[in-house]
Amino acid sequence: MTGFEREVAARALLAAGSDEAEAHVLSERSGLARFASSEVHQPTLIENCVVTLRVIRDGKIGTASTNRIDDAGLKELAQRAAEAADSAVAEEGFPGLPKPEPLPEVEGFDEAVAAIGPEDQARHARAAIEASNSIGQFGFFTSGVTALAIASSTGVDAYQAMSDATTLVVSADDGASGFATRTSWSADGVNPGAVGREAAEKAVRTRDAKTIEPAPYRAVLEPYAFAELVNYFGYDAFGANGLLEERSYLAGRLGEKIMDEKVSISDDALDPRGLPKRFDFEGVPKQRVQLIEHGVARGVVWDRTSAARAGNGQQTTGHAPPPVYRQYGPLTFALAVDGGEVDSVEELCELVGDGIYVTRLHYLGIVDPREGVITGMTRDGTFRIRDGKIAEPLVNLRFTVSVPQMLEDVPGLGREQQLVNSSDFYGERYPIGALVPAIATARFNITGVGSEPGL
Amino acid sequence: MRDLCKAAVDAALGAGATYADARAVVRRAQAVATKNGRVENVTDLETEGIGVRVLVGGAWGFSCDRRLDAEGARDAALRACAFALAAAGRREKALAPAAASSGTYRTPVEKDPFGVSLSEKVDLCVRAEEALRHADVKVTEAAVRAQREHKMLVTSDGAEIEQELVETGGGIDALAAADGVFQVRSYPSAHGGSSAQGGWEYVVNLGLEREAPRVAEQAAALLRADVCPPGVKTVVIDAEQMELQVHESVGHPIELDRVYGSEASYAGTSFLKTGDLGSLRYGSEKMNVTADSTTPGGLGTFGFDDEGVPARREPIVVEGVLRNFLTSRETAERLGAGEGGSMRADGWNRMPLIRMTNLHLEPGEGSFDDLLADVDDGIYLETNKSWSIDDKRLNFQFGTQIAWEIKHGKLGRMLRDATYTGITPEFWGSLDAVAGTEAWHMQGLTNCGKGQPGQGAHVSHGASPCRFRSVQVGVKA
Repeated sequence: MTGFEREVAARALLAAGSDEAEAHVLSERSGLARFASSEVHQPTLIENCVVTLRVIRDGKIGTASTNRIDDAGLKELAQRAAEAADSAVAEEGFPGLPKPEPLPEVEGFDEAVAAIGPEDQARHARAAIEASNSIGQFGFFTSGVTALAIASSTGVDAYQAMSDATTLVVSADDGASGFATRTSWSADGVNPGAVGREAAEKAVRTRDAKTIEPAPYRAVLEPYAFAELVNYFGYDAFGANGLLEERSYLAGRLGEKIMDEKVSISDDALDPRGLPKRFDFEGVPKQRVQLIEHGVARGVVWDRTSAARAGNGQQTTGHAPPPVYRQYGPLTFALAVDGGEVDSVEELCELVGDGIYVTRLHYLGIVDPREGVITGMTRDGTFRIRDGKIAEPLVNLRFTVSVPQMLEDVPGLGREQQLVNSSDFYGERYPIGALVPAIATARFNITGVGSEPGL
Repeated sequence: MRDLCKAAVDAALGAGATYADARAVVRRAQAVATKNGRVENVTDLETEGIGVRVLVGGAWGFSCDRRLDAEGARDAALRACAFALAAAGRREKALAPAAASSGTYRTPVEKDPFGVSLSEKVDLCVRAEEALRHADVKVTEAAVRAQREHKMLVTSDGAEIEQELVETGGGIDALAAADGVFQVRSYPSAHGGSSAQGGWEYVVNLGLEREAPRVAEQAAALLRADVCPPGVKTVVIDAEQMELQVHESVGHPIELDRVYGSEASYAGTSFLKTGDLGSLRYGSEKMNVTADSTTPGGLGTFGFDDEGVPARREPIVVEGVLRNFLTSRETAERLGAGEGGSMRADGWNRMPLIRMTNLHLEPGEGSFDDLLADVDDGIYLETNKSWSIDDKRLNFQFGTQIAWEIKHGKLGRMLRDATYTGITPEFWGSLDAVAGTEAWHMQGLTNCGKGQPGQGAHVSHGASPCRFRSVQVGVKA
């Protein structure tokens, strides 16, 4: 990467003239070879470069964006951003644009991933497909390069190029399905054949699924399932806005023990095992934030606006969202749950003894943010655990759980943390993921039964 | 844009494509969001580019370029062909025949939403929010939006279609909190409000400021309401929640690409099989569902879909029996039924997929009060709050923002944290009344997701309040 985005950001800032302004340039070059029934059916190549300009006039903030990056396009962009600012109401307590700060050096870019072209992407998809010839393969291989440059009239000049690659496979036919996925910023983590095999091996074990009575069960959740649950909980619980507005689970509970002491959760965009980031969408350095420490609620993530609104000397933690999502407040893009002392999911099953085993979740919904209640379905590999071992397959199950309640009694956590992609690649690409282990819980509330696994 | 699209199609055919289509799209969107009297967002976004889809050697390929010039069009076409060749399909694709269409379509607009200043939009939000103020309401929110999408489609089958679709929308929310209880009320719906195709008149007619005091009062009252008790009850569901029920438990299962497994890795499949067409009992005889991409004001309204198939109205469920799927030209040909007409892409840099257009539950007879009159002991549920459904669209669970007991045909005490759950055909089989035309109304959602990479779609649904017997309510964690 040459830093072309930096040059565009500088030109956008220039177009803004004398206004206090901040320019973001987010570029994407990606390919996604999607397959179904073991055939690539939706291969998509994307190249885009989006410039977003935030202009502040007399305390009033306006934002505009474009992907026309020639001088005429940037000039119009500046005019639209200025008009947006003039239309706003001055924001009391707005802390202004940040001053430049030293940014941490992080990993997160691999030339080998950046060099993966369309033919390679198709080849990797084929490797995932050919990992099984006995069951249909559904999923995708994708890789891409994203670069983010931020420049401001206060002197911020931040730049980072990121690479990412993900293989995701559902192996399925009538009555059987399994799932696996891997994400990495480095080429070392790209092994589509292994992902395809893991999904297929799981799928064949799901035939002749049985039903069970809805009730609270002890359970083991693979990292795929646990990551999605923690991400959904985190949308509300771990951001400053939910705290300030008294609507999230952590509101009024900071400092209290709310989970098992084995549970520690942070947001850590600096961890090289994740998808590292140097700075947030205001160009502020990323910080590791301890959210839950040995079961005690310790904090949430902040951006400069929410920190100013807190009015208690709170400082940003480097979690500003993209400007067009500003109303959602600071977001956790790099959740990490500490690993435990259990070496394998088999040992976690032994700790559970009698319960259920969950590979993956589907279509989660937040039922009650104040109590951290989430509902959803299991899919692609749900099993009974009997006598400490994975036993017969189960149909897809509906769960309705209070996440903190589920984490109150944790018999064990896996030692190994796995990076699970959190992006479904809507809008502009920006690689995010959660680093989580498998977990055993003493309470996973099943509230309904669904269909057999598979197509 | 027409010449660029033609050049892209020619380049694709020259590179070996047996079919190609090119869409040039210019989209502009404005959004204003206010919260607690502060302007949270005033944004003016534009994006443009060209997307080229090709069939080469029996395999699809898609590529796009943000440059709306000859070089961008040609490069996108050649990259799409190269990706298709690299991906190489195993099965020859055939497309249902489509008459070569040439035409134009423009959303009828009374007042151009981009002729309304951003200041006026901010002012509307601020005034609506002020009307939401209440001692127990901790957060007030208002938002309005406008979007204009100008697009040109050229296909190697001879279609040349130019369309301009204009959307507007808005909504308000009141978030109340006290003593550890948090409740929300929204108008006109919970998902960022409601949108429609049309001009600024749609937003004005929503009456956000007029409705705000009621919304705030109800949010506050919910703090002191009892929690909805569990049980198996007769439920009456308002039109807004019914629209999401139709979306999730009818709209997605009838997408033929899901039936064929194309979405298995993400959005999921369908409990429906192709052999169910014409015979599957989806629900009671009161259930009539229509897909209609001609509905005035619908977010799924157009002149032609993104394959160039003209807009149409077709029955999906007639007196409870499945009569049609939503199709593309490829899936229609594979099924041997249908002609396509539901292919839509999220902008210039995504492939078209089968998406809902406007999907309506047809009205029945009588009024809302008539629905209540025949309920001795039940629950009335209003305005969606949470939603979840399994990958085959069978097991669902919804929560609503507010509910009331129904006792002896009348609404009783207010209830909070209400949920209901069911299995799709059993639930629709328990439908015993749909209110009539006067209670029927349409809302537009802008948050329907599908595809990898992800694509958002804007869809509208119309429904009347409905009554269902023997429904599980009050699911607890």
